[in-house]
Amino acid sequence: MKTSTHIPLAVAALALFVAGCGSLERSRDLGNPQVSATTLAQQVCSNCHGLTGTAVSPNFPNLAGQVAPYVVAQLNGFKSHNRRDPAGFEYMWGLSRSLTESQIEGLAAYYAAQRPMTQQAEGDSSRMEQGRSVFESGIPDKGVPPCMGCHGDHAQGNATFPRLAGQHADYIVKQLVVFQRTDERPEGSAMKVVAHELTRQNIVDVAGYVQSLTQP
Amino acid sequence: MYPPHAPPRTWAARSSASWLAWAVFVVALLPDSAHAIPAFNRQTGQNCVACHAGGQYPELTPYGRLFKLTGYTVGERSALPISAMAVASVSKVANTSKSDDPAADFQKDGKPILATASLLVGGKVTDNIGGFIQITYDPYAVTNADGSFSGHSNADNIDIRYADRFISGQRDLIIGISANNNPSVSDPWNTAAAWMQYVPVPSPTGSRFIDGNAPYPGYGSGGNIAGLSAYAFWNQTVYAEFGGYGSSKGLSSFMSQGIARADKTAMRGTNPYWRLAYNHEWGAHSMMVGTAGMVARVHADPLDTSDPAEVHRYRDMSIDTQYQYLLDPYSVTFQLVYTSNRHDYPASMANQPVPFVDSAGHALPNTNASDTNHLLRTKLTYVYQAKYGGSLGLFNLTGSTNTGYLTAGLDPASLTITAAPDAQAPSSRQVDGNRTGNPSMRGFTLEAFWTPVQNLRVGAQYAGYNRVGGVSKNYDGFGRNASDNNTLFLYTWIAY
Repeated sequence: MKTSTHIPLAVAALALFVAGCGSLERSRDLGNPQVSATTLAQQVCSNCHGLTGTAVSPNFPNLAGQVAPYVVAQLNGFKSHNRRDPAGFEYMWGLSRSLTESQIEGLAAYYAAQRPMTQQAEGDSSRMEQGRSVFESGIPDKGVPPCMGCHGDHAQGNATFPRLAGQHADYIVKQLVVFQRTDERPEGSAMKVVAHELTRQNIVDVAGYVQSLTQP
Repeated sequence: MYPPHAPPRTWAARSSASWLAWAVFVVALLPDSAHAIPAFNRQTGQNCVACHAGGQYPELTPYGRLFKLTGYTVGERSALPISAMAVASVSKVANTSKSDDPAADFQKDGKPILATASLLVGGKVTDNIGGFIQITYDPYAVTNADGSFSGHSNADNIDIRYADRFISGQRDLIIGISANNNPSVSDPWNTAAAWMQYVPVPSPTGSRFIDGNAPYPGYGSGGNIAGLSAYAFWNQTVYAEFGGYGSSKGLSSFMSQGIARADKTAMRGTNPYWRLAYNHEWGAHSMMVGTAGMVARVHADPLDTSDPAEVHRYRDMSIDTQYQYLLDPYSVTFQLVYTSNRHDYPASMANQPVPFVDSAGHALPNTNASDTNHLLRTKLTYVYQAKYGGSLGLFNLTGSTNTGYLTAGLDPASLTITAAPDAQAPSSRQVDGNRTGNPSMRGFTLEAFWTPVQNLRVGAQYAGYNRVGGVSKNYDGFGRNASDNNTLFLYTWIAY
């Protein structure tokens, strides 16, 4: 074989090698069912939710220690476009569109296994006390049930009722407003009734309180 | 002149090898499975706000920076990795009368025009390779003999990457290589020279004094060159990038596709570019403090690169900082860049006599062998709901006085103001004139925009100048003032 044909062949072989040599362990391909949930969590989800599920920016929810059935339900909700609040469709619809059932379950397990970080308490103690009151006792006069009834004594979450302890207050406020004013999260319709009677101040207080909670 | 502008764009013969390189890249982007969706937001399925602060292109969010640094590889390869954008605009310059030929200086003043259009090919190729190629069409690229215009397309920004990310436990290391055609186009912060700009800007034919023509940080080499840089981003905290740039030719000629050889930047050898940045994110805040620089040797005549003495030498250094507060629905950004530039002229341009005298009739100093200038540019932007936005930008360029900049001065015989022999064309004499030899320019830009849907933006920019050519009044020697260039610019920008 002449040398002149070696060069194009070598270039072609190199091109094929480079094109095909993507490492599954470090892939960011959301359309490949072979990529593991752990790899996706590290390579893609960590960009906003943090490597261990603690998001630096309150624009994105903390996922560390989140109960797995809730994460599965949300990812399925994004994928099916059932959950259509702005945070859902702007950021998550596309990312979740091709996730397999196994990847979704793997992601939920990954975050459930992460250790939640303690968030700094914000706001003065009287507001915190108001928040605690809503969380533990609800607002009986208005028929608002206590949050802990479903979300757990320490807001640790329970099945599809999400963990709230240590969640960014800003995220809680936004989601309570979504439940209160819209039908953009039909799977959480139970929350519509709960949130309906809350005032803006109630929402801010309870969000500040649950952000400050740490699981014992 | 400052900043060194990219050469005017005219038709050039396209080499078949160069077209082949384009074709190979485009074909490489085609996927094995079909999803009929174009460009990055189709690749990830996310809205513009995920990557662009407040939805305003080109400024990136922290996530957008990671998307870029990981080689545009997050998501799924799309069937049609193509986007297009177009800008229709109208602009009005405050004073068009102080010009020798207003019809030539302000051809499209007050007239609606299709200012520019771009085709963008971009996205994921493999798990490690991705890219971004912008091809821009300028409908007013060439002025014909009869005064009509001919359009022209050429390579604009190009950034093709190989990237990998080693992330686990407490470690996060992104490393990559970028092949690109414009120093700092590879940078993920909007204070980088290639990105700190108001977008969109119109064709200079439509409006020569809108913000796009005000001083911006830049590198002496300009664009349309070819470079390779290697970068690392460690724990989303320390960013370092080092690269080398040379002329776009041979295999890399696609980097300057569509630009005539006479208009290309011909660099001497390989020229270093560097970038260091410290990044910190806390809560909804993110902040970067960094520095960047380049040393470039550029042949005075791109068609004759035989004489090593006929070379411009540029040394550009910058310090920049960017602060972002991004918490839906609010987006606040502050950017600040300070650049220091030194320009050493080739022997044929240094120490040359000029045809003017001072008021006492004494000859003016010869042209400088080198110049320095300093630019401070800052911008504050606020966007609400990724829909309603506004910004204020300030610029202040100062620099050494050089008689070589003069387009007018006192005639030795009559001691009256007269145009330089090589500044007889209308634009050179008045609108682009300089009677002081000083390049200083100072002013501001105000913008308000509305983005009813993420593919459409309607905006108004007002650029105001209170110093041009070192003075506020009569900067050309024939009565044109800095504020005569104040310009209102209205635009509609569509991207898909």
